[in-house]
Parts: sequence; C-alpha cells; structure tokens
Amino acid sequence: MSIDTPIGTPIDTEAAREREVAQLIVEALHLEQTADAIDPDAPLFGEGLGLDSIDALELALAISQAYGFELKSDAGRNRQIFASLRSLTAHIEANRTR
Amino acid sequence: MSSGSVPLIGRPADAVLFRLPGGAVSADAFAAAARALAEALPDVIEVPNRCRGRLNFALGFAASVLRGRLSLLASEPARAEGWALTDEGVARILSPLRPLWRGEREGPTAQPWEGEVGATAPPALGSPTAPNPLRPQGRRGLMLPPTFPAALVFTSGSTGDPVGHVKLFGALAARSEDAGAAFGFDPARPASIVAMAPPQHMYGFETSVLLPLHAACSVWCGPCFYPGDVRAALAAVPAPRVLVTTPFQLRALLAAGAELAPLEAIISATAPMHDDMAAEAEARFGCPVLEIFGATEVGSIAHRRTLDGPDWTLYPRVRLRAEGDAALVSGPYAAETALGDLVESDGAGRFRLLGRRTDVVKLGGRRASLAGLSRILTGIEGVVDGAFVVPEDLERRPTARLLAFAVAPERSAAEILEALRGRVDPVFLPRRVIQVDALPRNALGKLTEQAVKRLVMDIAGRQATDIRRGRACPGHPRGAVPLADADGHEPGDGLAEYAVAAEVPPGRGLAEPSRAGGRDKPGQDEK
Repeated sequence: MSIDTPIGTPIDTEAAREREVAQLIVEALHLEQTADAIDPDAPLFGEGLGLDSIDALELALAISQAYGFELKSDAGRNRQIFASLRSLTAHIEANRTR
Repeated sequence: MSSGSVPLIGRPADAVLFRLPGGAVSADAFAAAARALAEALPDVIEVPNRCRGRLNFALGFAASVLRGRLSLLASEPARAEGWALTDEGVARILSPLRPLWRGEREGPTAQPWEGEVGATAPPALGSPTAPNPLRPQGRRGLMLPPTFPAALVFTSGSTGDPVGHVKLFGALAARSEDAGAAFGFDPARPASIVAMAPPQHMYGFETSVLLPLHAACSVWCGPCFYPGDVRAALAAVPAPRVLVTTPFQLRALLAAGAELAPLEAIISATAPMHDDMAAEAEARFGCPVLEIFGATEVGSIAHRRTLDGPDWTLYPRVRLRAEGDAALVSGPYAAETALGDLVESDGAGRFRLLGRRTDVVKLGGRRASLAGLSRILTGIEGVVDGAFVVPEDLERRPTARLLAFAVAPERSAAEILEALRGRVDPVFLPRRVIQVDALPRNALGKLTEQAVKRLVMDIAGRQATDIRRGRACPGHPRGAVPLADADGHEPGDGLAEYAVAAEVPPGRGLAEPSRAGGRDKPGQDEK
C-alpha cells in the first residue's frame, strides 16, 4: 500500500485493490514511477506503461506469488486482462486464492 | 541427403511435425497447407515473415521457399535508433545485401512485400489422416536445390549494427539432421518439443521450425509463454518431451515452482547457462540440461551437457579449424565463417570457448575476456546481474579502466569492488562499480553493444545533469533494445499484439541503489 492511504480506509474498495496491484507492478518491474501514478484505465503494454513481454513474465510470477494463481495464455484473454490496471485487478480479484 | 536436391520435408508422410491444442499436423498436411499458401503469395521476391504463431511462421517459411522466394525472418523490431520494420525499415536493413541475390533473381521491379504471411490465409490444417491433395502427385514438387537461398536471418546486434545472413536450404536441412543426431532423436520414438524460444530468432527457427522438417520430432504450436503454459503444453504432448528454452526463461520456470511432465531433456541457448542453474534444473526436472552453441551467422554448431564441463562437441558434419586467432566453421552448403569467439579445439570435434574475440580486452599488456570478468562479477554473493564494459576511449586514454555495472540491491558498490579486488587482476579492476536497476538485456538475455553504449551514455548524462528519471526518458537503454517480439508468443496470446505494438517501449530510468533486475547472467554471447 502506498503511504498516503489514509489509516482506516477499507482495503476492499476497488481503488484500494487497484493501488495494491499497482504497487505490485511497480515493485515487480522496478518502475521508477509510484503506484499512484499509474492510470487505472491506461494500457499496461504498448503505449501506456510501455511494458514488454519480459515484464509480462516477471509480472506473472509476482502475481502467482502474491495471489496464488497462475496466468496462462489461453483463449486470447490476456489482451483483456492486461488491457489496464483496472482489468488486471478485476482478473486478480476473480481468480485469487489468497 | 542426395546431392541433387533436398526435400522440404525429410519425414514420413504421416509423421507428426507440429502439435496444437487438440490437434496434430502431419508432414503431408503441412506440405499441402504450405503449397496452398505458396500459391496465394503475392508475386514478390522476398517474403518478410512476421508471423508470431509458430505454425503460421513455419508455414510462411515453407510457402515462401516452395514459391522460390527468400524468407525474411524479419522480426528484429525496433532498432537502437528507434525505427521499426516498416517498408522503409526493411529496405534499410536489406540495402547492403541486395546486390548479393537480387541480381541473380528477378528484375528491379519487384517490391518488398510487407504482408502478414498466413494471417490472411488461414492454413487448412487437418489431422494426420486428412485427405491430402498432394498425394496423387507425390512429393516431387517439394524438392529443392540445396543451394537455394531460403532464409535471410538478422544478427541481433551483439557485434554492432544489424546484418543479414543468407541461409541456403541445403545448409538448413543438413544442420537440422545433424541436430537430430546430436540429440539422439529416434524415428521410432519421436521427441515432442515444447519451445519457448521465438521462431524468428535463429535459435528458435532452427529448433522449432526447421528441426521437425528433418529430424524425428514434433513441435508444440500452442501457447508457450508463461510457466503455466509450458506446464500445460508439456502435459499435452507425448513423451519423450524436450523443452527448448533460454536461461532467462528457465529461471522463470524454476522460480514459478512449476511441476512439469517428465522431461527427456532441456535444451538452452542464447546465453551461457550457469552450472548452478543447470544443477537446480536437473535436480528439479530429472533430466539433463543441454546447451547448443551457435551464432546467427553460422547457426547451431555444437552441443554439450552443461554439468559435464566446458567442452563442446561439434555437430556431426560441422568442421572447425583455427587460422591465427580465428576459428573458422563450415558445414554442408555453409561456407567457412569465422566465429566471434576464441576457441581451443582438440582437432577431433571438441572445443572449448576462451571468450569472445571482440570481448578480449588488453590492458597493461594483459589480456582478459570481458565474459570471464563478467562471470566473476556475477559470481559475487548478492550480485544478481552484472557486466564489465570497455569504455570507448580505452585505447586512447592511458589511465582508462574498465567499467563494471552491477545489479546488486543488497550490496554496496564498495563491497562489490572489494570482492572483485581479490579475484581480478588489478589492471582490470574498475575504478568504481556502477549500480543499476537492471541491465538492458534483450528478450533473449543478450547485452548488445548498442544497448551497452546507451547505458554508458545514460550514466554519463545522469552524472552531468542528474535529471533524467522516469519512464518518459526515451534514451534509456532498456527502452531501446528489441524486447518486444522475441517472446515465443503463439496464436491466441493477446500479449504479443501489445508487445509488438510497443516497438520502441518507453524507457525507464535507472535507480541507484536499486532493486534486483533479475535478468539472466551475462557472458559470452552464444547466439
């Protein structure tokens, strides 16, 4: 969680979950920017955050370690899943085992 | 292989060449699809193959060859200069090569074609028992002259600017047969290859596109990117299973703790495999970790089991001879080519690497291999990744010293320097160790000369201004190296589109001190 999250804020709000995932991205990929600076609706790959396929592999590892489920390339869903921080967070919420 | 002609596919008609989720593609079905695609190709003399799906890529290659066209493995995406493979970009890369073959072929009216081979012509892929339109004619039409220039492959820039290398079909076929023999592929028990290496890269091209055409194996063409994909792929194919990977990808597999279906072998290339990782992988997966030695210029030429020691065994028909400092390699339909490495050969098909010729650095009358120095650096506890780099003015400035970059979040630069002090000849000690977030390795773990130059320039710029932070910084080396497409993406993997769309990924800043970058180890450049 970023330090400016007010104490007592419920963690199960959508924005808080997104910030948690943003923090994971920042830490896993050693990004220079802060988690708060990631636009929840901007593309993670391509022209948005500019992540690449090596990042995708690193991020998949971090997600599996943090949330207990594995990403796969099946059915072309990764395009949707990695479309934005918001969609990735939703995918994590739907699949997390911890 | 007969001297007059070489079959496009040197396998029995019903042999499985490729596997997909829920299906298999026989030699005959593949030949039929390739012929159909060949007929659909526009009338051009070169076919840039930008398919990301492995089966489409293989079909694109086979179709262009059947059509008598040069297949361009045109995957090298963004250059350090930042341009991509547009029409203009293709022309720029090809311009030095055109006189080599264009004069011998068609007139100057033919234009490069930039279509996605196979993308607009979905191959009619049947099961091994599907009706075969070719059968009445036999397979005579699938014979090729061995001297036919079949593929143009680009070096990825470790030794400088991109250069194209023409591969004759006879050489590709012979090398595939040799690889099958070297790895003991048995026609009575064909291997199932699951390849994480992208088909556009020479390593992936040889091991996952050419190999099933001429050696007793099939190649998985479904998703093969995430550790979960690899596990599913291996579970979907019959034994004996062979995983074709790179040190970077193997590291991810080990980190993911993936339980894999029983493996017959793991094959790695593109960067040196450290003994520690090989030992861990052998223990975890219960199979030998083998390495291929090669270079885009010469293809795969030798193999070894990592834990058996540093000696490489040449492929059966590959010859190596020394001429001064240079090691010259040749094979069927492959002219002698100098390796970029210093080798010590026993003259009987085995050799040992002494370092990269271009990486041999002389200082104070002493010689050292940058790869060797880098290995010492990465062998220091807490150093996740690192590399020794020669400053450009080394020979002009008597007081110049080597530069050393390290990814070592838990260690200070002074501690690393101290550790080096006892292990490296003092003349090669860097003045200081520069800690970075990550080294600008490309998708295959290589540290290209251009990326290194940019890293050095970036550091110099930082020292001058200390303002270039953040991902908006376009000059950062990580953003300049072609990471995007060399990832083994397969049909249905939407990430490929995103990744390739980012042909020049925005850079990210360097941080000092920093967290671990987690890229793989440096060292001599093997592919």
